[in-house]
Amino acid sequence: MVRMNRLLGISAIAATLAWAGAVAAHDSGSHAPAANSMAKMWQERQEQAPRLAVAAAFDEQGRLWLARVVGRHLQVSYSDDAGGSFSTPVTVNPVAELISADGEARPRIAVAGGRVHLSWTQALPQPFAGHVRHAQSSDGGKSFSPPETVNDDRQPITHRFNSMLADADGVTLAWIDKRDGHSRKDYRGAAIYTARRGNGEASFSNRKLADHSCECCRLAMAADERGRTLVFWRHIFGKNTRDFALAEIGAPLAGEPLRASDDGWQIDACPHHGGDLAVDGRGGRHLAWFTGAAASPGLHYRRIDGERMTPPRAFGDLDRQPGHPALAAAGDEVWLVWREFDGERNRIVGQHSLDRGDHWSPAAEIASDPGAVDDPLLLRGRGATWLLWNRAGSGLQIRKLTP
Amino acid sequence: MKRGARLFAVLFALLLPAVAQAEARPQLRPFVGGSLEQIQAERAGKPFVLALWSATCTHCPAELKALGQLLKRTPGLEVVLVATDTPAESPQLTRLAAEYGLGRQAQWVFADEQPERLRFQIDRRWYGELPRTYLYDGQHRREAYSGLIPAAQLERWLAANVK
Repeated sequence: MVRMNRLLGISAIAATLAWAGAVAAHDSGSHAPAANSMAKMWQERQEQAPRLAVAAAFDEQGRLWLARVVGRHLQVSYSDDAGGSFSTPVTVNPVAELISADGEARPRIAVAGGRVHLSWTQALPQPFAGHVRHAQSSDGGKSFSPPETVNDDRQPITHRFNSMLADADGVTLAWIDKRDGHSRKDYRGAAIYTARRGNGEASFSNRKLADHSCECCRLAMAADERGRTLVFWRHIFGKNTRDFALAEIGAPLAGEPLRASDDGWQIDACPHHGGDLAVDGRGGRHLAWFTGAAASPGLHYRRIDGERMTPPRAFGDLDRQPGHPALAAAGDEVWLVWREFDGERNRIVGQHSLDRGDHWSPAAEIASDPGAVDDPLLLRGRGATWLLWNRAGSGLQIRKLTP
Repeated sequence: MKRGARLFAVLFALLLPAVAQAEARPQLRPFVGGSLEQIQAERAGKPFVLALWSATCTHCPAELKALGQLLKRTPGLEVVLVATDTPAESPQLTRLAAEYGLGRQAQWVFADEQPERLRFQIDRRWYGELPRTYLYDGQHRREAYSGLIPAAQLERWLAANVK
């Protein structure tokens, strides 16, 4: 019944919009009222409905933590039965703020060392502008510290696309930051900045990881087998080649970072399409990414062992908008999932490898939905890999993936 | 159902004043399933530029300003703007389009909970990168381009298609 109401609501809105469009096409009034009322309706809907882009993580005890944005608040709840039922949500930010939560711009959650860390991007009224925010709970998610702005540059410019990794000793964030290029026309793209705060420390010290990142793709972070923090992002190599880079936080960077993909996508555009990174039990770096390069468009996977890189392996159906891949690795087992749209339904397609990505199972549909959906997330926890997929119509889907 | 009906009523009340006034001026229209066909049908036999953009795309201002400049010296050119944002951003979108010198061109904004559905209808091999531009000739054969269009390519198309 609830679902039916929702469907009816959506079709009523669609009909209203079509009608508004017809009015707009023929009427002659100052265009402001029509545009403003349309805007108002969508804003109201955005304020009321939970946003699609969620964050989730298992803690070491197998408790599943979930963060979602409702209106202008980030809310956290947890499940002790792997998503069967969730606790009453607790609000993270007591003061309302506009939180980015769609597609590539999403909240993050990480649980380690007895702390629940949240990070998000506060959207500012200025175009492309935001602040990276952090709050944490030390009492098992009952209460949260007052939100803090992590970027120490406070101009109303790009500090967005927050990513986060926590360990027992503290938390590390990485984001896209425009402070170096803001007033310089000759500066290509933005920069990757990072901040680390150890447990008990007072502030986040900002450090630049690399100049010349692409401006609007999510970053991926992972710890390697020795606990070092890796960041994987879309970089600008040369004048405008938007391929991927991989770097370790804290390692000296001379010149350009390691070029992790060599697609040669030369473009002055915003791909809105980042990649994912996972590290296996032997330290192999598994990468998945999207390129629009004419010679090899679509999704690709490769593994890096030390100096050795496997050739890129293409995956996904190019006529179904394959995109937004997620990776998970444990021991020698690797999972890869991504989304496709066939004109009617969104599908989560996946495959796995039991030998660190040398051989893969055939790509197979894992889930599908007729409505609006989030990108797929892969989580490790309870000794397994899990698909977590948020859907506007039928809610959160959590599925254990077994080879 | 009740909620949808209420929304409809509220919107209707809000729009009434707009219907009452009158002045021929391009409006921001909601781009839904079938809108591309409508755009094409309204320009049957005519060349035009379909420019997909977003208020959140850092390369779009340069592209749109270039199109605005081109319009100034090519009165016969027609540009159709389609923003991939949501109707919530309508006021900002119309303001930006005017700033770029495109205020009098047809303007649309994505109005579907599933933008992938609209992308699929426009071009199943467009993956969402912006700006994305389609140059339509008189027979509505189209060239697709992602990113800033090189001036030379635009000039070639103009010379061949727009007097």
